[in-house]
Amino acid sequence: MPVSKKRALVIAPGRGTYNKAELGYLQKHHADKADFISMIDTYRTSKDQITISDLDGKPNYSLKEHTRGDNASPLIYACAYGDYLSIDKDKFDIVAITGNSMGWYIALGCGKALSETSTTDVINTMGTMMQDSLIGGQLIYPIVDDNWNIIDGKEAELENIVGDINAVKGCELHTSIMLGGFVVYGGNDVAIKELHKRLPTVQERFPLILPNHAAFHTSLQKPISNNALDIFSADIFAAPSVPLIDGRGHIWQPHATDRGDIQSYTFNHQVCQYYDFTRAIQVGMKEFAPDCIIVLGPGTTLGGAIAQSLIQIGWDDLHCKTDFIERQKGKNPILYAMGMDEQRTHVV
Amino acid sequence: MKDRAKIVHENFLRRIQDEDLPNTDFISPDAVGLTNAQFVEIFESQILSRRLDMESRNLQAIGEGFYTIGSSGHEGNAAVSAALRLDDMAFLHYRDAAFFIQRSKKLAGQTPLWDMLLSFTASSEDPISAGRHKVLGSKVLHIPPQTSTIASHLPKAVGAAHSIRLNTLIDKHNEIPDDALIFCSFGDASVNHSTAQGAFNAAGWASYKGSALPLLFLCEDNDIGISTPTPKNWVYNNFKNRPGLKYFYCNGLNALETYQVTQEAAVYARSQKSPVFLHKKCVRLYGHAGPDVQTAYMSKEQVEHAEAQDPLLHTASLMIQNNILTSAQILDIYSEIGVRVESAARHIIKRPKLTTSLGVQESIIPDVVKDIAPVALPTTKAREKSFGREIQTMEQPQHMARLINWALHDLMLSHDNIVMAGEDIGPKGGVYNVTSKLHDRFGGHRVINTLLDEQTILGLAIGMAHNGVLPIPEIQFLAYLHNAEDQLRGEAATLSFFSNKQYTNPMVIRVAGLAYQKGFGGHFHNDNSFAILRDIPGIIIACPSNGADAVEMMREAVRLAREEQRIVIFLEPIALYMARDLHSEKDGLWTFPYQEPKKAKPIACGDVHVHGKGTELCILTYGNGYYLSRQAAHILETEHKIKLRIIDLRWLAPLNETAILKALKPCKHILIVDECRRSGSISEALMSMVMENMSPMPKTERLTADDCFIPLGKAYAVTLPSKDSIIQSALELLGEE
Repeated sequence: MPVSKKRALVIAPGRGTYNKAELGYLQKHHADKADFISMIDTYRTSKDQITISDLDGKPNYSLKEHTRGDNASPLIYACAYGDYLSIDKDKFDIVAITGNSMGWYIALGCGKALSETSTTDVINTMGTMMQDSLIGGQLIYPIVDDNWNIIDGKEAELENIVGDINAVKGCELHTSIMLGGFVVYGGNDVAIKELHKRLPTVQERFPLILPNHAAFHTSLQKPISNNALDIFSADIFAAPSVPLIDGRGHIWQPHATDRGDIQSYTFNHQVCQYYDFTRAIQVGMKEFAPDCIIVLGPGTTLGGAIAQSLIQIGWDDLHCKTDFIERQKGKNPILYAMGMDEQRTHVV
Repeated sequence: MKDRAKIVHENFLRRIQDEDLPNTDFISPDAVGLTNAQFVEIFESQILSRRLDMESRNLQAIGEGFYTIGSSGHEGNAAVSAALRLDDMAFLHYRDAAFFIQRSKKLAGQTPLWDMLLSFTASSEDPISAGRHKVLGSKVLHIPPQTSTIASHLPKAVGAAHSIRLNTLIDKHNEIPDDALIFCSFGDASVNHSTAQGAFNAAGWASYKGSALPLLFLCEDNDIGISTPTPKNWVYNNFKNRPGLKYFYCNGLNALETYQVTQEAAVYARSQKSPVFLHKKCVRLYGHAGPDVQTAYMSKEQVEHAEAQDPLLHTASLMIQNNILTSAQILDIYSEIGVRVESAARHIIKRPKLTTSLGVQESIIPDVVKDIAPVALPTTKAREKSFGREIQTMEQPQHMARLINWALHDLMLSHDNIVMAGEDIGPKGGVYNVTSKLHDRFGGHRVINTLLDEQTILGLAIGMAHNGVLPIPEIQFLAYLHNAEDQLRGEAATLSFFSNKQYTNPMVIRVAGLAYQKGFGGHFHNDNSFAILRDIPGIIIACPSNGADAVEMMREAVRLAREEQRIVIFLEPIALYMARDLHSEKDGLWTFPYQEPKKAKPIACGDVHVHGKGTELCILTYGNGYYLSRQAAHILETEHKIKLRIIDLRWLAPLNETAILKALKPCKHILIVDECRRSGSISEALMSMVMENMSPMPKTERLTADDCFIPLGKAYAVTLPSKDSIIQSALELLGEE
C-alpha cells in the first residue's frame, strides 16, 4: 500500500437521500456506468416499474413519486453504488463498508456479498414490499443539543415516553434507528401520532414524521421479513470482499462470513430489530481506525449523524459540532460526502 | 539477543510464504462441527491476539503502553472460547486475550481491538477497569475481571459454579443461567499455588459428595512458570485421577482438536454438573513479559523449539490442508489485522488517562443499587412457624450468641437469597451455637456446611455473590482468616475497583474473634489482631459489644450488602457471646431482649454509642474493651467520683471521625482502650485522629494489649487490658494533670 493512500470507511446512505437537489444525479455523475444503470432499468421494466433513468431524468422532482419506496430504493442504490465504483482506489484503501438502514443492502452490493443483479433484486423487492404494505411510520427526534452533544438523560426520558405510549391500548412503538444525535422511532400510525403529540417541539422541526416511511427495523415488519426469507435464499449471498459492518455493529469478515448467517441477519434481524447506525460507525472507527470516512451519495443528510456518532466517542478530538466543522475546513477532513460536489472531487 | 517477538513474526511470514508448516494432525472443521467461516473467525481471533501482543511492545517502547505480558503461544484459547457459550461466566487467565476476542464475536457490536489497546495504555476509557489495571473483563461478555497472577480467582470460580444450582433451589435466576457452566483458566505453574490446590480440592470434594458443580478448569500448560520449568508430566500425573474432577487433554496448538475436546469437556461439565480439568498443551512465546530475556534460563534451542510450534502456524497449516485459505490469503489477513491494530494504536495513545487520586479511587466503593425493592419483613405467622416455641422467649433478655442467631434467622426469612457457609455451621449450629437450628429451618442449601478451608469459604461467597446470592460466610476463628485473607484483599475488595463498579460481590463475613475466652484455645482461638483488614480499601468492619447492638448491626450489615453492595466484616467478640453479667454475678446486665424486625431500632453504619455524659474522661473503645470499660467506669464513677463517658465505636472501618470527634470534643482526658495489640491496632488510628483534629489536644493515652500472642490457661488475659488496668490507666491519666 503506498504511503499516501488513505484508509477509508465507506458509508452507504439510506432512504430519504434522493431529494430535489439530487434530481439528475445519475446523469450528472454516472453517465459512464450505462451498463449498470441499464441493467436496473431492464429489471424494473420487467416488473412494470418506471425505470430509474426516467426517474432521474424527470424535469421536476415529485415528492410523491421520488420518495415512494419502490422508486426511491433502487434510485438511491444506483447513485450510491455508482459513487462507490467512482472512488479512486489509487487514493483510497477501503477498509470496511457500512450503511444506514436500507444502506445495508447497498453495503452488501458494494462489498460483493451480493452481485449487482442480486442487490438490485433485493433492494427493489424490499422497497416495493415496503411501499405496498407501508406498515406504520417513522418519526425522528434529537437526543443532542445544538452543539451535537448528547443531552444528559434525554434518551431515558424518551424511553419512558415510549413505554407510556406502549401502555396505551392499540399503540405499538419501537426504536427504529439510532442515528447519531437522533433516534428514529417506528410504530403503528396511532402510536406515531401519539408520540408526535407528546414530544415537545425542538430545533424548530422536531418531532418530524418521515413521509412515505414505514416502521422499518421493528417487529411490525415481521410479515415483510417472512416474505423476504422466502424469496431470497442464502445462495444469493457470497462472502464479502471487504469487511462489512451491519446495523448491530457486527463485522462480517471476508473469509469468516457464512452465507446462511448473513442471509438470516439481512432479512430477519435487520428488518425486525432496530438499526444501530451509531454503533456501526463507532465500531468502524474503533476496529479499523480509518483515516477518513467516505459517504456515498446521493444526498448529504448523513453527515450530521456520522459526525454526532464520532463526537459521542470523542474521535480524533471531535467533541462538538464546531470541532467537526473546523476539521472539515482543514486540509485533512474526516469525512468526504460524495453527494457534495466540492468534497466529491477529493474522492473520485 | 534479537527481539523474539520480531523473530516469531518473521518466522510466521517466511514459513507461510514457503508453506514450511509444522506437522499438524489433519482434522476438518466439519468433523468437529464448525463451518469453514467459523474456523476462519477463530483464526482471525488468534491473529488479532498476536498482533495486539506485538503492539503492546511497540506501545511500551514509546512509553505509552504499560503491560506486555502477552498471550502469544496461547492462542488456541480462541477455539476454547468458540466452544463455550456467551453466558458461561469466565474467570480468565491473563494470557487469554484470544479467548476474550473470540467471545466478543458472540455479541454483535463489540470492539475488542480498541478495548484491549485502551487497557494496554491504561486509558480511563478502558470499558472494564477505566484505566486502573490491564485486566481481561467485560460485563456484557460475562467475564468478571481479575489479575489472576496468583490463581486467587479459582476459589470464586468454584463458588460461582456452586451458585448455579443453588439459585434454582431458592428460585432466584440471576446473572448466570441455570444451564450455564463456569469457566476458569490458569497456567501450569499456577496449579501449584495453594489457593489453586484448595479450589481443585473443594471442587472435587463437592462433586465427590454429589453437589452440582458445572465448572470447567482450563490449565494452559506451556511448560514453564516465569523461569521455572514445570517437571515433565507434572500436570498430567497430578490431575489424571483426581476424585471428583474429570480429566480431559487437548493439544492446544491444534485449534480444531482444542475446539472438539473443549466441546466434549463442556458437554460433560454442563450435563453432569461436574467439574472438569481440561489440560491444554501450548507454548510460551516472547518469554514471560516484555523485559524477560529467556536465554538467561533457557537454551536458545529450547526457545527456538517453542517458536517452531507457533500455534498460528498450526492453524495456518489446517487452513491450507483443508483448502480454506491460501498462503497468500493468510498473509493478507495477518497483514490487514496488523494494519488495523497499528492504526488504532495511533489513536489510542491520545485517549484520556486517569490523572487524579480521586479519579483512581472512584470505583472502590460500589454504587448504591437504584430502585431496590423494599424488604418484605416476615409476617407474624411466618415467624411463629419458623421460630416455633422460641418466639415466646424473645422478650426475655438473652446473650449475644442467641440474639445474633435470631437476627440471622429473621434475616433469612426476609431475604431468600441469603446463603450462609462455614465450617460446622450446619446441624451442629456452629462452634458457639450462633447458627443453631438455621440448617434445620432453611435447609442445607442455604446453610452450607463447608469443608475445612477458609479460602474455599470466602471463594464460595465471592462466587455466589457474582450470581445474585447474598452470602453470609463464617470464619470460625479470626486466626483462621489469615490463610484466606487474599480472597478478601486481592479478590473481593478489588472487584468493584477493577471493574469500574460493574461487578460487585456484596456479602457479610461473620468472623468469631478477639480474645478473653477464659483459658480456652490460646492464640488460634483468641487472636486479637484484625490489622490485616483495616487497610483494605472499601471494606466495612463492624464489631458489636453487646447482643442488642449485634442484632441491629447485623441488620445494617445485610442492608449495606444488599443496597450498597458493600463487603462487611462482622467481627463477633467470642468472649461476649455467652456473657450475661456486667458488674456482678447474675446481674444479667449484658443480656437484652430481642427486638423483632418490625420493632427494629436501626444502628446505621458509623453510628457510635456514647454511654454517659461526663466530660472529665472519655474512654474510647469497642468490643470487649467496651464491656470492660463499663465495668471499670462503675468503679471510677462510684469510688473515684470521676464524671466520664464511654464511646463504643461499633464500626471499626471506616471510622466515623466526625461522630467520634463530636463525642470527644468536650472531654478533658481521653483513654483509648484497645484489646488488640499495641502495634497495628486501631488505637494507632484513634490516636492519630485525636492529634490531627483536636486543638488543644486533650490528655490522651492508650491502653492496649501487649505485642504478644495469647497464651493458653490462666494467663489467657495477662497481655490484655482488664477492668483493673483500665481503672489504673484512667487514674494515672487524670492524676498527671
